[in-house]
Amino acid sequence: MNQHTVKMRELARELLSSGQVSLVLGWEKGNLWYKSPPVFISRVEDVEKLIFDEFCHNNLAKYLMDLVHHSGKIAVFVKGCDSRAINRLLQDNQIKREKLYIIGVPCPGLKDPDDAVGKKQGAEVKNSAKCATCSYPNPVVYDALLWETVPVNTTKAPVEELIAKLDSMTPDERYAYWTEQFSRCIRCFACRNVCPACNCRECCFDQAEPDWLGKANNLSENQFMQMTRAMHVAGRCIECGECERVCPMNIPLMAINKKVARDIAELFGECAAGLDLEKRPPLGHFDLNDPEKFM
Amino acid sequence: MKRVGVFICHCGTNIAHTVDCEKVAKTAAEFPHVVFSTDYKYMCSEPGQMVIKNAIKEHKLDRIVVASCSPRMHEPTFRKCMESAGLNPYLMEMANIREHCSWVHPDKEKGTEKAIDLVKMAVAKVVKNTPLTRSSIPIHKRALVIGGGIAGIQAALDIADAGYVVDIVEKEPSIGGRMAQVDKTFPTLDCSACILTPKMVDAAQHPNINLVTYSEIEKVEGYVGNFEVTIRHKARSVDVSKCTGCGTCWEKCPTKVASEFELGLGTRKAIYTPFPQAVPNKPVIDRDNCRYFKTGKCMVCQKLCPTGAVDYTQEDQLETIRYGAIVVATGFDLFDHSVYGEYGYGKYPDVITGLQFERLINASGPTAGKIKRPSDHKEPKTIVFIKCVGSRDEAKGKPYCSKTCCMYTAKHATLVKEKIKDSQAIVFYMDVRTPGKNYEEFYQRAVDEYGVQYVRGRVSKIYQKGDKLIVKGEDTLLGKQVEVEADMVVLATAMVARSDAGDLARKVGFSYDQHDFFTEAHPKLRPVETHTAGVYLAGACQGPKDIPDSVSQASAAAAKVCGLLSKNEMATEPIISAVNESICSGCGLCISICPYKAIDLKTITERVHGKMLERQVAAVNSGLCQGCGACTVACRSSALNLRGFTNEQILAEVDALCL
Repeated sequence: MNQHTVKMRELARELLSSGQVSLVLGWEKGNLWYKSPPVFISRVEDVEKLIFDEFCHNNLAKYLMDLVHHSGKIAVFVKGCDSRAINRLLQDNQIKREKLYIIGVPCPGLKDPDDAVGKKQGAEVKNSAKCATCSYPNPVVYDALLWETVPVNTTKAPVEELIAKLDSMTPDERYAYWTEQFSRCIRCFACRNVCPACNCRECCFDQAEPDWLGKANNLSENQFMQMTRAMHVAGRCIECGECERVCPMNIPLMAINKKVARDIAELFGECAAGLDLEKRPPLGHFDLNDPEKFM
Repeated sequence: MKRVGVFICHCGTNIAHTVDCEKVAKTAAEFPHVVFSTDYKYMCSEPGQMVIKNAIKEHKLDRIVVASCSPRMHEPTFRKCMESAGLNPYLMEMANIREHCSWVHPDKEKGTEKAIDLVKMAVAKVVKNTPLTRSSIPIHKRALVIGGGIAGIQAALDIADAGYVVDIVEKEPSIGGRMAQVDKTFPTLDCSACILTPKMVDAAQHPNINLVTYSEIEKVEGYVGNFEVTIRHKARSVDVSKCTGCGTCWEKCPTKVASEFELGLGTRKAIYTPFPQAVPNKPVIDRDNCRYFKTGKCMVCQKLCPTGAVDYTQEDQLETIRYGAIVVATGFDLFDHSVYGEYGYGKYPDVITGLQFERLINASGPTAGKIKRPSDHKEPKTIVFIKCVGSRDEAKGKPYCSKTCCMYTAKHATLVKEKIKDSQAIVFYMDVRTPGKNYEEFYQRAVDEYGVQYVRGRVSKIYQKGDKLIVKGEDTLLGKQVEVEADMVVLATAMVARSDAGDLARKVGFSYDQHDFFTEAHPKLRPVETHTAGVYLAGACQGPKDIPDSVSQASAAAAKVCGLLSKNEMATEPIISAVNESICSGCGLCISICPYKAIDLKTITERVHGKMLERQVAAVNSGLCQGCGACTVACRSSALNLRGFTNEQILAEVDALCL
């Protein structure tokens, strides 16, 4: 058992036994050595389930959406990316800060569970793609920080290369590329369900009147759905990479999200989402000094 | 089953010349839900409206489409027509087959095809229309005039005479504006101050008028009838309730700076009134230049003030006042002609602007009305006037005609000849435009009686030679080069919008054009209204204007204000946003995106799994909402919907066009 896990259990036990919180959201060891799914702990004796290892991928913040009516205070473990998700939900008025005890866990970067499939425990496993692009491994909001912060990875991520490649394409080539990607989409909506920025009560894709999205699974509807999703999180995406991780069809969704984020930064200045609660999303407020003169 | 009637207007030949209206009507008769379709020469005319009313009765129509001009033009007309036929006015849609079709397409076949598409869309939309009802809001009977120039003063006097309280907010220490800087006025040559100052005094003494000088508009919230305006009273450093305007302070103040009012041709003190006839005649301290504020020493004005009115500790104060209507009369600036290297501005002190010339000939100006060159104070004998500096010049200046320059240049030239008998006035011009009562006669008198020389052509270069300015240009009528040895050159620089005009327009919330002039609601039929209800325009902030035009526009704006304030309440547009609370997640994105601050969160209680729980949802203030629709596109789950332009209606239009 690593030192990180020891510290997590210690704090969780203290919080639960003192009655400070009534629920702890963390990760446990799953059936497979390369899976660490979320765990919800309300009894002190269950804190022994908690672990922190290289497969704690799930962004736990999204689960808080299901717990808005939970009566007590909730402790939640957050990596850097998860902490930005907390800010996303706070800014979107979906959760209340005073009902949370946020435990920051600086994240050294995780491993790719898909690469571990079929390997023996302890074998060499590739780094996770979503962690390669991470600029915020250290939590940006927390009540307690469990261990020392980690250095920020500055190497160029593969997704950046993909965006550069897409930028250099002609519009026709780029259209062909995305057509190919979206043709695989099976509209399982895992990307939406896992996304902390997708926190609507009723998603426009589920509405029948008006039926924004046709129910037929064809390329046109897939493209419409994927573009709409990208636009709905534009300027709000906290770049946790969960959408791409959970996509069963391996559609490079983060290439769209990062490209949109970069375009917005170029137009409106640096404005990474989920860092500052006071700063409104650039596409989400009316400003007299907006560079557009049409208003 | 809906019963839709379709009415295609020819608009004389405006539509009919590129759209086959009969064919459009015949095709429309086949659209789903359409039970009656016809065309007529002028739908908006009395007989045209009768066609509609009779059809509604005869065919039991429950909603209609009128395909004609822009709804900006005749939507109110046809809504009224619906009402008098006993239908809800919002069960009417217009298809714009004039501005969006016939006026922009030369090809009749394709124009007709497009008109059919536009009508098809409108029919699809109107089928989904629901009856909407107006509500009413109270009107606060107090008016705000922004800007204390002649337009603002006139508007305020007219409103006040009608019995309403009106505040003039002026950012300078005194009202008066540009007209106070002018010497004589065309075409009568009566002195500007002699006709302006009595009006300034009238405004100051009127029981219904409050002068709020040295103050600016900080924030405007609210809506027609109920504007909440925050005014910043800039720190005057003088207690106006104690000050008697005796003038001791500015006589003794040791600091001299260039006077803005004299356009740099004269000086003022650090504690000053901009000009002797200032209203109110109470000074302000220019803190950037005051010795006390710069060094902490001096205090001469405070020591000498017999009433102890000087107060260095004053601070800017904010005050929020409620108004029913706003008149914007912020005036103009002059084009910065330093872009014209050929006129050598900046290099040559004797090349001045027309407004500077006004100060030079003004009896209360820096030279006491004697025309003297700024460089050596000698009397100039040859004065060259150049017209259209910055106006009618798309390359370096503004494309528009500045309207007043022809007349004031004729006036300047006349005055030169009157004041300096042996002088010569030469005017370089592109055209002479004198539309106005007695204007042409005035110009002819300058030429015939005063011998002002008009040379048609542009000046290519001005340069200094000794103490003379050599003006080189072309006389295009004679087709030869001319060279004039001048003592002074006066540039008729264009009127431009104030540099902060755009800021003010965004603050108050109305539109402005590409030159930052404020946009009237209709160039011909609603010249003093803006598209924002309750906000009116007067004077040169709307476009270049002379004094008579500004004054008549001001009175027109005042009439509009009085019309509004005479009512106790007014009906509001029902085309506003509505919230579907069951979908709204209460994220609040619509709140920060709303330009009118019309949305707030409210708490609702609902039953969840047998328990009563509270949550927050958006709520639209129907008085504040202007129906812009910004919130409806910001809301990802479309919980917000614009009545009259619902998502369902717009999708129906798209489907009608594309499917």
